[in-house]
Amino acid sequence: MIENFIKNYLNHPNTFDEMFLNSDNYRNHYSNFINNFSKESLDNLNKKEELAKKLFMSQGITFTVYDSGEGIEKIFPFDIIPRIITSSEWSFIEKGIKQRLKALNLFLKDVYSNQFILKDKIVPTNVIYSCPHFLREMHNVNVLHDIYIHIAGIDLIRDHDGTFYVLEDNLRTPSGVSYMLENREITKRLFPDLIPQCGVRSVTEYPAILYKNLMALSPRAVSNPTIVMLSPGMYNSAYYEHTTLARLMGVELVEGRDLVVKNQKVFMKTTIGLQQIDVIYRRVDDDYLDPLVFNPNSVLGVAGLMGAYRKGNVAIVNAVGNGVADDKAVYTYVPDMIKYYLNEEPILKNVPTYQLSNRDELEYVFENINKMVIKKTNGSGGYGMLMGHAASEQETEEYKLEILKDPRNFIAQPTISLSSAPCFINGKLSPRRIDLRPFALNGPDGISIVPGGLTRVALKEGSLVVNSSQGGGSKDTWVLTS
Amino acid sequence: MPIFKIKHITNYKYELPVRDSANQIILFPIKDDFQKVIQHDLNISGSPEIEIFIDYYGNEVGTFTQNEPHYQLKIFSKVCVETFPKPLPQDDMFSSEQWTGLDMIKYEVPYIDYLRQETFDGIVQLKETALSIKSDEDTPYQTAIKYCAHVFQNYEYIKGITAVDTTIEEIMKLKAGVCQDFAHVLTAMLRLTGIPARYVSGYICPNRDGMRGEGATHAWAEAYLPEYGWLGLDPTNNCIANENHVRLAVGRNFTDCSPVKGVYKGGFEHIMEVNVSVGYNDEDFNENENYFQPKEINYSKPSATVTAARKQNSYQQYMEAMQQQQQQ
Repeated sequence: MIENFIKNYLNHPNTFDEMFLNSDNYRNHYSNFINNFSKESLDNLNKKEELAKKLFMSQGITFTVYDSGEGIEKIFPFDIIPRIITSSEWSFIEKGIKQRLKALNLFLKDVYSNQFILKDKIVPTNVIYSCPHFLREMHNVNVLHDIYIHIAGIDLIRDHDGTFYVLEDNLRTPSGVSYMLENREITKRLFPDLIPQCGVRSVTEYPAILYKNLMALSPRAVSNPTIVMLSPGMYNSAYYEHTTLARLMGVELVEGRDLVVKNQKVFMKTTIGLQQIDVIYRRVDDDYLDPLVFNPNSVLGVAGLMGAYRKGNVAIVNAVGNGVADDKAVYTYVPDMIKYYLNEEPILKNVPTYQLSNRDELEYVFENINKMVIKKTNGSGGYGMLMGHAASEQETEEYKLEILKDPRNFIAQPTISLSSAPCFINGKLSPRRIDLRPFALNGPDGISIVPGGLTRVALKEGSLVVNSSQGGGSKDTWVLTS
Repeated sequence: MPIFKIKHITNYKYELPVRDSANQIILFPIKDDFQKVIQHDLNISGSPEIEIFIDYYGNEVGTFTQNEPHYQLKIFSKVCVETFPKPLPQDDMFSSEQWTGLDMIKYEVPYIDYLRQETFDGIVQLKETALSIKSDEDTPYQTAIKYCAHVFQNYEYIKGITAVDTTIEEIMKLKAGVCQDFAHVLTAMLRLTGIPARYVSGYICPNRDGMRGEGATHAWAEAYLPEYGWLGLDPTNNCIANENHVRLAVGRNFTDCSPVKGVYKGGFEHIMEVNVSVGYNDEDFNENENYFQPKEINYSKPSATVTAARKQNSYQQYMEAMQQQQQQ
């Protein structure tokens, strides 16, 4: 069975494939999986795929696509073949992410207080002060334990030779962790024996670690602090995740209208009166958090929340104002931050990035636009991106005009040939491009990263865009014990 | 040195009771070499706890909440302040040296914030106008004075024609507005020429002839000059803002300095009365506020922020409304 799969597997040229070394050999760390997997008949595999779809549907594991016109809530496509990461690869990733987060957290503390890094001209002041997510309202606000980034999703990709690169840091309200947890649950149902046989490390402790960290942030010294998950509501693309995490941690799922601020303290309205809130895990963007201070038209937040936060009466997770650290124009300087704050060489590499506000780089990018990926510095979810090699001439020209209006809003990166992994599509294995988003949790006891993450797959043949909003799916991600 | 006794009353009246209001006030005069606060009494209906912090721009900001249902929110601020005139710039450095000096600090904090002009339609036109007014030999000081006069001469002072969030583009089309609008246009012109400029909110304490901007909070601009520091310029009255102007806050624009703003839940319909009066002696300053008869009450029309909310359905309007007052 497996021989057939391997023979017919057409690897992309000049691409690192996670499973196959070349068309005849697979990588060693896949051997356990392949040995077990090859015992399954094609019929059985088709049934398993069908079962996976049904499970996703019946459990309502969905995400929402904006501007799609049709029924916008969609099932998150799942591929039954896991993506496997060796333990040495993982320890490299783990070290790299911890280092990066330490530096980014120090950067946030610095940029909202002494601004040493600006005074020493490591990061240009202009880049920070022109960033819409640099919130002057956060200046000199004391953040508990000096932790700004409690939860991070760091997007990693691999180049044609297998080198890991950080594609972007997600330090505001990163989503996707519930899919990591659900994917594992589904794999356990599909291949009950495989996980113990292959020695796969567990990811299920994620909600417990997060809960422990949230508890530790309580400003009141009480044994049972009140923690809430603040969601923008059911129309948000990640509403499924908000409900899942709230359920797994056993915390209240609330919306802005359920909360009220009274004398610099936040309360939740309950049937037995007001109950004081200690920790808010919010999935509402900064701009909508407090209509008194930020967007006055917001109905998703709580008026007066920033006052309570400033006073230290409530912890907000992630901290307010983190957007200045994951802005794509600031991203370029993360390796410099690592050297500056930690006096260490960066473990994980950045993708080379061109700042379009810089005249020379703009010209270079325009000349080589078909080799570039251009992104908005404050965009996310793969919206508003230009893939130079795939865009029509007209699209390119329109995009150029858009850039010229405000070049600060754009960066360009050379198109990277993302690594591929085999996916089970129409009864055979076909290579599809993937990335990896591990989730890091930062608490008073330090940073921990559950071994795994969300492997996103560009399901469209030949596509390099893995975002779920752009037709991406996902895979279970296995980190091996040895 | 002049001592001013200022009474500033802000009174919101609601048609239906409102609740859960969160408010922010920037009503604390700046304390520095040119302003000394002798006395400041702040009374707010319902006597809420006021929490004070220093914001990014160095202003004292108060916040408070009013959760019980109420028909009225009255903020009564009584300030006694002594001002000292700041000597005018010597302006004896070479013009080119001064411009180079400004160019060298353009990426430095805090000037970087006061040089960045949010883009608007007509920004190119305004920049052209600004550059055409100034001659090559003009120092930043001379330039700033010319711009102040330009705004005064070319924009008509008309109350009620603009709202809290009128854009510079709209003001340029109307060629009219109130002090807030004048200050926005002047700061934009200064910034576009490379002179750091900030927005100032405060009170004008007029001479006996009366000046524009009485009866409400006033606003003007400050330009940063090398070797001198910040120079106050009042484009509404075409004068240097000095010992007759009492400063409450500085920032990039009105939004940073808004003297009183709040968000509440409940009926959308509200009226706001604002009155500012300035006295020079003790006459009625220490009397109870009830005896105080305002000579003119400024009824504000609902701000455009609220108008935007109005387009939503009435339920949403009911749920949350925003109140803010314009500086006249």
